[in-house]
Amino acid sequence: MRGLDALPTGAGARGRADGFTDWLVGAAASRRLLTDRFIETFESWGYGFIVTPLIEPLDTVAAGVGAARQSGLFRFMDSDGALLALVGERTVSVARVVATQLHAGPFPLRLCYAGPVLRNHSHNAGRRRESLQAGCELLGATGLEADAECIALAAAALEQGGVHGVQVDVGHADFIPGLLESAGIDGDARDGVLAALASRDLVSVEASLEGTDVADAERRLLLAFPTLRGGREILDTAASGLRGERPLRALRELARLWDLLEAHAITDRVHLDLGAVRDWDYYTGPTFEVFSEDSGFPLGSGGRYDRLLARFGDAVPATGFVLHVDRCHDSAGRRDGVLSAQHVLRVSWEGDAEAIALEVARRLRTRGVACVCDLTPGESGEVTVSNTGARWTEDGRDESGSIDAAVDALARRAP
Amino acid sequence: MKGLRIALPAGTLLEGACELLAAAGVAQLDANRFERELSVTDAGCVFVKVRPTDVPVYVEMGACDCGIVGKDVLWESGRECYELADLRFGLCRLVVAAPRDSPLVSGVWPASLRVATKYPESAGRFFAARALNVVLIRLHGSVELAPATGLADCVLDITATGRTMAANGLVEVAEAGVSTARLIANQAALKTRNELVGALAASLRRAAAGQRNEGAA
Repeated sequence: MRGLDALPTGAGARGRADGFTDWLVGAAASRRLLTDRFIETFESWGYGFIVTPLIEPLDTVAAGVGAARQSGLFRFMDSDGALLALVGERTVSVARVVATQLHAGPFPLRLCYAGPVLRNHSHNAGRRRESLQAGCELLGATGLEADAECIALAAAALEQGGVHGVQVDVGHADFIPGLLESAGIDGDARDGVLAALASRDLVSVEASLEGTDVADAERRLLLAFPTLRGGREILDTAASGLRGERPLRALRELARLWDLLEAHAITDRVHLDLGAVRDWDYYTGPTFEVFSEDSGFPLGSGGRYDRLLARFGDAVPATGFVLHVDRCHDSAGRRDGVLSAQHVLRVSWEGDAEAIALEVARRLRTRGVACVCDLTPGESGEVTVSNTGARWTEDGRDESGSIDAAVDALARRAP
Repeated sequence: MKGLRIALPAGTLLEGACELLAAAGVAQLDANRFERELSVTDAGCVFVKVRPTDVPVYVEMGACDCGIVGKDVLWESGRECYELADLRFGLCRLVVAAPRDSPLVSGVWPASLRVATKYPESAGRFFAARALNVVLIRLHGSVELAPATGLADCVLDITATGRTMAANGLVEVAEAGVSTARLIANQAALKTRNELVGALAASLRRAAAGQRNEGAA
C-alpha cells in the first residue's frame, strides 16, 4: 500500500465524478429489470412510451423546476451561446412535446417515459447526481378519475416491480393556499407561511401565524400539520368550523378521490395528508407521494399540474407521476426483493466437440435459457458435451445421456 | 415511541437534550452514558450521539428518524428535514461583532468588509440581504482571534453569554439570528412512522413548555 501522499488527487484520479455510479453486473441488470417492469405496467394501462432528450434549453427546464432551483441543474452553453441544461426531471419535456407536437390530441392522452435525470448536488453529500426516473402523464383530462388512475397506476407499477410495503400520501395543492385565503392571511404573512411550509419549517409556520388574527378553525388546521393525516374521516374533522369555499372544495375533491381509490381497491395503502404539498406554484389539484419504511426519501410523487402546458402555448390540463427507480431499487434491495438477474448456464466441451457445444447453447437459448459456451476445451460447466453424448447435473445428481436428453433436461431451467 | 432512532448532538446541547427527553418521559438518559458508548438504547428507542453538524445528515438520509439539533446548525446544513418543534433550550445568538475601535461599532458599514466565520451560509444570506461587498473567510474555531490578528475586520459567530467576545475585545454590532434547539424529522419517517414521530414531537413540545414555565417561576 502506498501512503495517501503518494496517491493522485482529484476527481480525475478516481476516474469518476462524485455522485455518479457505475452499475456492475447483477445490480445493473436488476435495475434495468425494475425499469422494464414499471414500463410494462404503464403500457398495460394504455400509456404510450416516448423518449425525450437528455438536454433541453434552460428556459424549458426552468418552466418545470422554477427559477429558484435552476442552480441545482447542470447548465452549459450551446455553440451559439444559448443556455442548455441536463434535464432534472422529465415531466416538463413531456409537457413541451404535447403542447408543441401533440396538441391535436386525441385527448385524453396517456404517455410514459423512463430515463436518467441529473442534479448538480454538492460533493460528498451522499446524494446521487444521476438517477433514473420512470413516469406517466395523463393529459387532457380534468376529472378526479384521472388523478385516481395515476395514483392506482403508481401503486400497481411498484407492486409489479416487487417494491413492497409502500404507502401513498394523498394531499391537495389548493387546500393550504385556500385555507390561508379564507383565513384572511395575505401578502407577506401568506408568503411567510407558504415559504416555511415549503422548506418544511413548522416552527416558522407557528411563528408566522402568531402575528396574525387567524380564526381558531384555520389556526388549528395550520398548526395541526403534520397530524392531519389518516383515512376519509379526517376530511370531516378538517371541515368542521371551516367557512371558506376554497378549502372546502379541496376537501370535497379529496373525498371524491378517496371513493375512486376505493374503487381501484388500493385504500389499504393510502393516507390522506392535508399537509403533503409543497410545490404550490407547480401543482394545482390532488398530489401524492409514495413512501416506504425502507427509504428515507419518497419513492415517487405526482399530482395535477393544469398550468404547466400553458407555458408552452397550449393550455391542456394534466396529471401524472414519477417513480424514482434507484430509490425503489435500493428499497426493494433492503427487503431482498430486487428482481434477480437471470442465471447463466455454462456449456463445456471435450475433445473436438466444440460444434456440438455451440449447437447445444443455441438450442438452449431459443428455449429461454441464458448460456455461455466455453472458449477452450476440457473445462467443467453445468453441462459437458463430447462426441458420445452429454453429462450434466440435475438436483445435485450426476446425469448423462444423449444431447437431446441434455437439452430437454436443461431447458426446464428456463425462467 | 418504541423503535424510533434519534440523533443527539454532542457538545453543549447534549445535556439539555437528555434532560428534556427525561422530562418528556421519552427516555431516562444520562449524558454521561454517551462517554462510554455512542449508541444507547433506552425505552425501546436507539439514541446516537453524533457531531451537531452531522445530525441533519443522519436524519435527511434516513439513518435516524428524528434528531435534536441547534437552529444554527440547520441554517448551515442545507439538508432537507422537517423542523417539527422549537425545544426552547440551548439559546444562543448569531451576531456580527467587531473590535471596539472599528467604524462598525459606531454604525458605519464600510463598502467592503472581511468577515471571519464558522457560518458561511448564514453569513452569505445575512450580508447579501444588506448588499454589502463582503469577503467571507471560513474558519473552524477561535473565530474571535481573526480581527485581533488582522485576518478579518469583523466576525459573524454564535454567542450565548457574550463573555468570550468581550474577553477578545469584540463588541456586538448586529444580530443575524436567534437559535434554540429544534426537533427535526426525516420526511419519510414523518409519514411511515407518523404516530411515533407525532407522539415524540407532542411530548417534547409539552416538556419544553413546562420547563420554560418552571424557569420563569
